Amino acid sequence: MQEAAGTAGARVSPDVDSLVRAAQRGDQEAFEQLVRAYDQSVLRLAMNLLRSPEDARDVYQEAFLRVYRNLHAFRFDCSFHTWLYRIVTNICLDQLRKRKVRKEESAVVETGEGTIDRTDGFEEESAAANPERATWNRQLGRRIDAALEDLTPRERMVFELRHYQGLRLRNIGEILGTTEEAAKNCLFRATQKMRTLLGDLR
Amino acid sequence: MTCDAVRKLIPLYYYGELTPEDEDQTEAHVHECSACARHLERARTLAAALDRRTMEPPASLLADCRADLAAAVRGAAAEPARRPWRMWLDAAGATFAAFTRWRQPLGAVALIGVGFFAARLVPAGRGVATASLAPSEGVFVNVRSAQPDSAGKVRIAYDETTRREVSGTIDNPEVQKLLLAAAHEEDDPGVRVESVDLLKDRAGSGEVRDALLNALLHDSNPGVRLKALEGLKPLAAETPVRGALTQALQFDDNDAVRMQAVDLLTMRRDDAMVGMLQRLVQKEDNGYVRSKCEKALKEMNASIGTF
Repeated sequence: MQEAAGTAGARVSPDVDSLVRAAQRGDQEAFEQLVRAYDQSVLRLAMNLLRSPEDARDVYQEAFLRVYRNLHAFRFDCSFHTWLYRIVTNICLDQLRKRKVRKEESAVVETGEGTIDRTDGFEEESAAANPERATWNRQLGRRIDAALEDLTPRERMVFELRHYQGLRLRNIGEILGTTEEAAKNCLFRATQKMRTLLGDLR
Repeated sequence: MTCDAVRKLIPLYYYGELTPEDEDQTEAHVHECSACARHLERARTLAAALDRRTMEPPASLLADCRADLAAAVRGAAAEPARRPWRMWLDAAGATFAAFTRWRQPLGAVALIGVGFFAARLVPAGRGVATASLAPSEGVFVNVRSAQPDSAGKVRIAYDETTRREVSGTIDNPEVQKLLLAAAHEEDDPGVRVESVDLLKDRAGSGEVRDALLNALLHDSNPGVRLKALEGLKPLAAETPVRGALTQALQFDDNDAVRMQAVDLLTMRRDDAMVGMLQRLVQKEDNGYVRSKCEKALKEMNASIGTF
């Protein structure tokens, strides 16, 4: 769904436009429908970038309240998706930049229910069949996290939007207020850095 | 293409972001060159490894987020705040477009353009003088389209707005209605500041209070939001006002607004704020706001951090 929604800043569908118009007129239900059309992908983006449910929750709230507050100023110069993602990526980039400064990173993610090792997913699959492989996978997971944290916030954002959210580079450029070419270069630098940091993966 | 050039293109090739020509050339090269083929293979392995560390937010988190947002939006009291003047405007046959010419509600003297109609100038017979159709003085014209027609004439569609003046004391209901509408007027922040400023001493009226809450939460101009805060000060103990202040304190991007909001909220002890204040201490960048939160938490004997 996000792939379709994010394609090259095109009109998503007449439905979204009419929802936006209705919400601009103060129709609360239309606003809610609009939120529900996009909020899962917004939350996934925030969660993957910030690796913290608490921070993702803050981003969600702040982003959609800004949408609520500024929707009247949206003039359909771009798709609603692009406009929304401009807001979301700005908030996330701010968070990433603050973190870079504070360097308060850890390999463990806090959740309401306790902590999860970020690399659990790697282990699950093959732990029973091959314990050595499981250990290696866990290490790989940590190395990948470290490599991602080593990217600049902007590289990290472009990589996240392209690799995990499946947006096209042209749309990413539009969202981040830059050109497709600059987004391309950013993606190239991100993949280069990760290859260097991760070395050969078996 | 050289191996070097191809390797630069491999990440973009993987993501399908190359032009068709570059893609063909890359494919052809990789087919022939085993070293570059290994390079591409490594790119795929890396991508597959990265795929496996994606985090799907739990359904409970999404539900919590939606509940937070619904509460915040409800707290904004947008609906009741908007209705009164909308209804009045509809009754007056005006649209918000008519307000773009409105400039001076100062001293409770309001100039307002009411009446909106599109006129089509279709000369019915010969000799219809354009001059006689030209808008008279005090009428604002906004041309929507101008097209030549087949008869060699010009067909113009325009909106016409007339200016009227009313004057009265701030307690005059008509004046208040105009000011309420102006507080909501979106184009000119100067008009909104002046109107909210005039209204702010009448916050005892529910309609004015709703308009101030609406301005605090939704106005894009910080000057307007600050004026609204001033007006809400005497009502800082009321639940809907506290709800809006809490939202402003947490989410307003303007430091002065957050500083005012924290002052008003912490004027009285409110144990329901502990969680919110603790979260703010963690993430608030403004030193004044942070120290006010810490002070309030201390007074409530609550810990400063969250666990």
